[in-house]
Amino acid sequence: MAFEFDQELDCSGLACPMPILKTKKAVDALQMGQVLKMIATDPGSLPDIQAWTSKTGHELLEHEQEGDKFIFYIKRTK
Amino acid sequence: MSEKKEKLILMCTHGPEDPERATIPFVMATTAQASDVDVVLGFQVNGVMLIMKGIAEHVAAAGFPPLKELLDIYLENGGKLLVCGPCVKSRQIEPEKEFIQGAIVVNAATFVKECSEATNVMVY
Repeated sequence: MAFEFDQELDCSGLACPMPILKTKKAVDALQMGQVLKMIATDPGSLPDIQAWTSKTGHELLEHEQEGDKFIFYIKRTK
Repeated sequence: MSEKKEKLILMCTHGPEDPERATIPFVMATTAQASDVDVVLGFQVNGVMLIMKGIAEHVAAAGFPPLKELLDIYLENGGKLLVCGPCVKSRQIEPEKEFIQGAIVVNAATFVKECSEATNVMVY
């Protein structure tokens, strides 16, 4: 199921660490409580986004996989 | 009460001759910045070559972004570059002329202070 989101960031094809660096920038540009939809194709994305949200305190609301795409919904919490 | 912020020191000891080993500390450093972790890059041995003008542009490891892209992001985010004085001297590098802006030449006591205050030190 698709979540509602405020901004979308497509990191398809990008290598580590660029998806995390771009996600950080995009989340920083959100208002508090807003949600970023991030799409990545790097297979390491799931553990990486989980680690990053746990480290920074932002909330990973949901993640899903569609074919080779990993989709994340991240809420800015601080 | 303020919580002590985590801090990583990443020591780069390899230069352009080993692009993958040269690139990974920059991957780690930029990711640390994005994760709200303080980070300092230190350069010893041939790692000092990485911050000479015109060098990073030619370092690229398969599977990673080019070194120059990561270096620029690191510096844009206020990253510090500490460079080993004796390593600079033995290579006859003129820091003011040959290093990129932001490089700070230091000696052992600075590295000892930075490393002893850090949460973790990683040597590449």
